[in-house]
Amino acid sequence: MKTDASTGANVAKPAQNRHTSAARGRRVVINVGVFVLLVLCWIAAVRGFGLRSYILPLPGDVLKALWAGIAVPITDKTGFYLPLWVTLSNSALGFLLGSALGLSLGSLMAEFRPIETAVMPYAFALQSLPKVAIAPLIVIWFGFGNASKIVIAATLTFFPMLVNSFTGLRATEPERIDLMRTLSASRLETYFLVKVPSAAPYIFAGLDMGAVYALLGTIVAEFLGAQAGMGVTITQLQAVSDVAGVFACLIVLGATGILLHLGMRSIERRVVHWTERSRS
Amino acid sequence: MSAGGRETSRVPQVAAPPLIEAQGVSRFYSTVSGETVHALDRVDLRIADGEFVCLVGPSGCGKSTFLRLVAGLDPCDGGRLTLAGHPVLGSSSDVGVVFQTANLLPWFTVMANVSLPLRVGAGRERSTDTRHIQELLSIAGIAEFANKYPYELSGGMQQRAAIVRALARDPKVLLMDEPFGALDALTRERLNVELLRIWKASQKTVLLITHSIAESVFLADRVLVMSARPGRILREIPIHLPRPRTLDETPAHPDYVPLMTEIRALLYSEAA
Repeated sequence: MKTDASTGANVAKPAQNRHTSAARGRRVVINVGVFVLLVLCWIAAVRGFGLRSYILPLPGDVLKALWAGIAVPITDKTGFYLPLWVTLSNSALGFLLGSALGLSLGSLMAEFRPIETAVMPYAFALQSLPKVAIAPLIVIWFGFGNASKIVIAATLTFFPMLVNSFTGLRATEPERIDLMRTLSASRLETYFLVKVPSAAPYIFAGLDMGAVYALLGTIVAEFLGAQAGMGVTITQLQAVSDVAGVFACLIVLGATGILLHLGMRSIERRVVHWTERSRS
Repeated sequence: MSAGGRETSRVPQVAAPPLIEAQGVSRFYSTVSGETVHALDRVDLRIADGEFVCLVGPSGCGKSTFLRLVAGLDPCDGGRLTLAGHPVLGSSSDVGVVFQTANLLPWFTVMANVSLPLRVGAGRERSTDTRHIQELLSIAGIAEFANKYPYELSGGMQQRAAIVRALARDPKVLLMDEPFGALDALTRERLNVELLRIWKASQKTVLLITHSIAESVFLADRVLVMSARPGRILREIPIHLPRPRTLDETPAHPDYVPLMTEIRALLYSEAA
């Protein structure tokens, strides 16, 4: 019996690997192909329509601007590192604040019906409001310093966290809660040992979304007025029609967003180790 | 009828008070659509200490509902339900429950899962001596998997772990709700034998729900046959097959097939 099962697995595994590696190879070819095609279209558009560099620069100019921002000492005033640090540190603080508050209120709503009843209508109303629209208001209240950036980042992180943690905690399998009831476990024990781990995939989805939103919120706040940050750098470059520089900033922000997402995914895989494995 | 049943069953200490006693227990519940369902209708039963009782009945007859009442998960809507002479008001450390699925927590290792009852609720006051748990894991034949995660175990191994968890607080009663229903036939038969061995070694009282007539006859001292909804105890059938029961000898016993036929006839008369 045992040997049958193990040989069966041994036969199935390489076949599966071959299949997935072939699929992965094909995917890489498609991705690279599309990228090359897009760059070619870009160059063709600039050349074909005779676009000026202050409307749409050539990819080469963008790379040059990117290099000029990256190949400098970290403390250089003209480099990307200083503004990126300001933006990221404000986003991170806002993200931590917003996700902690979102998880807390989401938990209270999931655990206590009266709180759910009280908060739900407002949560839904605010959820459908485009929250960057309140950014000017927050700048009025918190000024042009770091505080307004952090508050906007926190506000944008808060809602996906609230909704996801609430939904995840409520989705806990009733059989698992029954188990804890037969053990006369306390509410807190059931919350920490069963509900939070059950909701972990939802919570991580909320964190993933929240990280991107925090970055978005910080940059919007910086557009409205700030001393430093990527949003400030972009507006300054825009003021002097350095479109290649603006593109370079966007590439830096895009790469940052992707790194945040990948980092979050790898933390998730390590923490919520049981979901991927139990699915296979 | 129930008195006659008790006289003929091989239950020891007939004079002793029953460990589980239900008198006229009824239960209603409302569905999502707002309908009220009459799940149990004046259920009477008595289960003595150390007895192995199986509850069979057509699906939806309220078997699981009854088990939830004994486990203290839901309240009775009528009648009287006592455990060791005390009314059942909520969950109790005297009761261990094995669910339809193994219901192990996938984020804990097998060891953390089976010792969960000693880390939460009323279990915290007990000694955190894990030697007892180690012993149970050995009896169940899964000691070598203690540090594995549930998803690394087969369905049968997971259900063994679930049984160990239910025994962790050394309860008087083991309630089992179709514990082997999700397993393949071979694993199921093997676990039936294992369960009888664990039952004998631990001297628990077992109330097991099943929809398998063969399983109920193989395992039980007494089989209680339930009617279709609203569930009542239709008849109790003492099983006098000799113990220890084995997969070779028990089905070959001359009483085995007649007992199965009797239960099947009762169930079919209900289903029609």
